[in-house]
Amino acid sequence: MTVSAEYRSKVRKPDDFDAFWADVLRQAATVPLAPEIVPDPLRSSEDVETFQVFYTSLEHVRIAAWYCRPARRAERMPAILLSPGYQMDPPIPKEWARKGYVALSVAPRGKLRSLGQFNPGYPNLLTHNIVDRHTYAYRGFYVDTWRGIDFLLSRPEVDASQIGVTGSSQGGGLTITTAAMRPEVRAAAAGAPYLCGFMDAIELTHTYPYEEINDYLRRHPDRRPEVEETLAYFDGISFADAISCPIIVNIGLQDNVVPPETGYALFDRIGSRDKQLYPYDGHGHEAGRFRHTAVVDRFFARHLQGAEIR
Amino acid sequence: MVPETFGEYWQATLDDLGRCPARVEIDPIPLRSTDFATLYGVRLTSLGPYRLFGYLSVPVGIGPFPAIYYAPKYQSVLEIIPQGTANLQRSRYVTFSLAGRGQRNADTPYAAMFPGLLTDGIDDPASYVFRGIVADAVRGLEFLRARSEVDPARVVVVGNDVALMAAALTSGATHVVTTPALFYRTAELAPRTQAYPLEEINDYLRAFPARAESVRRTLASFDLVAFAPRVTATTLVMASAPGSLLDGAALGPLRSALGGPVTVHDSEQSSFKDGLYAERWMAARCGIPDVEAILPEHWRAT
Repeated sequence: MTVSAEYRSKVRKPDDFDAFWADVLRQAATVPLAPEIVPDPLRSSEDVETFQVFYTSLEHVRIAAWYCRPARRAERMPAILLSPGYQMDPPIPKEWARKGYVALSVAPRGKLRSLGQFNPGYPNLLTHNIVDRHTYAYRGFYVDTWRGIDFLLSRPEVDASQIGVTGSSQGGGLTITTAAMRPEVRAAAAGAPYLCGFMDAIELTHTYPYEEINDYLRRHPDRRPEVEETLAYFDGISFADAISCPIIVNIGLQDNVVPPETGYALFDRIGSRDKQLYPYDGHGHEAGRFRHTAVVDRFFARHLQGAEIR
Repeated sequence: MVPETFGEYWQATLDDLGRCPARVEIDPIPLRSTDFATLYGVRLTSLGPYRLFGYLSVPVGIGPFPAIYYAPKYQSVLEIIPQGTANLQRSRYVTFSLAGRGQRNADTPYAAMFPGLLTDGIDDPASYVFRGIVADAVRGLEFLRARSEVDPARVVVVGNDVALMAAALTSGATHVVTTPALFYRTAELAPRTQAYPLEEINDYLRAFPARAESVRRTLASFDLVAFAPRVTATTLVMASAPGSLLDGAALGPLRSALGGPVTVHDSEQSSFKDGLYAERWMAARCGIPDVEAILPEHWRAT
C-alpha cells in the first residue's frame, strides 16, 4: 500500500479549544499533588534506585508511576517522562537511569496500579464517555500524564531546565499533548503517535484499538456528530501547533495500528521550528525502533545533557 | 536437564484440572460483533477452582472454520485479537483469546502485577503461579477444540511460551506459533539481560540469593525444551533477531527437541515483516487462499 506524505487530516481545532483546556487545568490546579515516593528495594540494584510513586490528579484520582534514578548521584540531573502505550503495562525505566537520567514512567488512570477509582477496561477506554468532552476518559488520562511533570518539578534531584518527554504509540500521542501543554518540556521524541487524527485513522485502518471507535459508531451511528465533536478536543493534531520545543517523530510506513498518514498530518501541524520526521519504510507499529533508539538517545543527550553521542 | 519429576508434576496438574468442571457460560457481545463475525464473552473454570474469561469470535456462515487460539500472554490486558491484527481475521477464523488468572477480566480474586507475575510463588513448583496459568491455557484449548464451529484439523495455538506448553499437555493443536520469552533456559539466560520480564528473575535473586537453587528447580519444570518432545503439531518458532538473547541459534536445542515439523523465523526487527510472515504461515496451513484480504490495510501489497 502506498502512503502519501501529503495526506492531510480532517481534524479541525475547535474555536474554544484553549478555553476548554484552560478550564480543565484550572480544575486540576485545585487538587493538591500530594506526591508520595516509596523505595522499592526489590527493583533496585547497584546502579539504579527504583521507587513507586503516587500523586493525585484531576477528580482526586490517585495515579501510580515508576521512578528510577542513577544510584549515588548527588547532583541535579536531567529528567525524562515516559508515557505508556494503550495496552502495555508501564515499564520500570531502569535503562533511562543507566543513561544518566531521572525517569518517571506514568500509569495514567485505568492502568494497572491506577485503576482503583477509574477502570473502564480494555477494550473500552477509547470510547468511554466519548460523546461528552467533559467526562471523556482521556480528559483525566491526559492530565494524569501532564501532572507527571509537576512530580518531576517537586524533586530536588531533577534539573527543572532539562526535562524531556517520550513514548511510542499512545505514549507518542501523550508525548505530543504533554509537549504542547507543559512549557517546562525542553525536548520531545514521539514514536508512532496514536491519538492523532482519530477520525482519519478509523477510515484508514480496521485494527484495534482504533477499531473500538468503529465498533461504537456501528452500534450508535446517530452519535457520530457528538463523537467527532469530542475527539477534536483530544486530538493530538489539535494540540500540535502549541509545541515549541525541539521534537523528533518516527513512524513506520507499514504501521498496522497507527496509520502513517496521520503521522505525516501531525508532523505538518507541529509548531516547533526545530522538528524532524523519521519515516521508516518496511516497518510496522514498532516504527523502526531498533534503528531509531540510537537517534532518540543522541537527541536527548544533545538537548538535555549537552553531550554529543556518536 | 529435564527434572525426573517433570512428567509426574504435569500429570498431577492435569489430574487436578480434570477435577474442576469447566462450567462454561457464553454470552454474545453485540458491541464487538459485526456483519462477518459474532463475538462472545466466555467464562469458564480452571484449576483452583478459578474462574477465567475469554473472547470467542465466530465467523458468520457455515463452518466448520479454522481456529486461532490466543493463549494467555504476559500482560495485564486481554485483547479480542492482538493489537494491529485486521478485524477481518475474524471473518475467516474462529478466534479465542483467554485471560489467564491475574489478567484483566480474570483478576478476581488474584490480580497479577507486571512486573511481578514471573516470580510469584517461584520458590516451589507446587505454588508457582504459572502452574495455574499453564493449566488455564490447557483448559482454554480443551474448550475451543470442543466447539462445533471449529475444524479440528485446523487449530493454531498462538502466543509465547505458554502456547507451546498447552499444545504439549493436551491434544487439539494442529499448529503452533510460539515466541519464546519466559521459559527457555531462563536461569541461564536471565543474568545476561537487564530487560523485563527476565529482569524479574534477576531482581528476585538479588533480593533473595539463598533461594537460587529452589528457583532453578522450579524453572526446570517449566523449560520449553522439556515440553518440546510432546509437541507433535507443526510449529513456527518466532526467534528474536540474530545476535540477541533468544535468536534462532540460541533456540537450536528447542528446535531439535520439538516432536513435529518446525520452522524457525529469525526476527527481521520489523513488526510488519515478522507479523506478515506469521499471518501468511497460518493462512497457508489453514487453507485460506485470500490472506491478502484479511491483512491490515498497510500490510497489503496494493
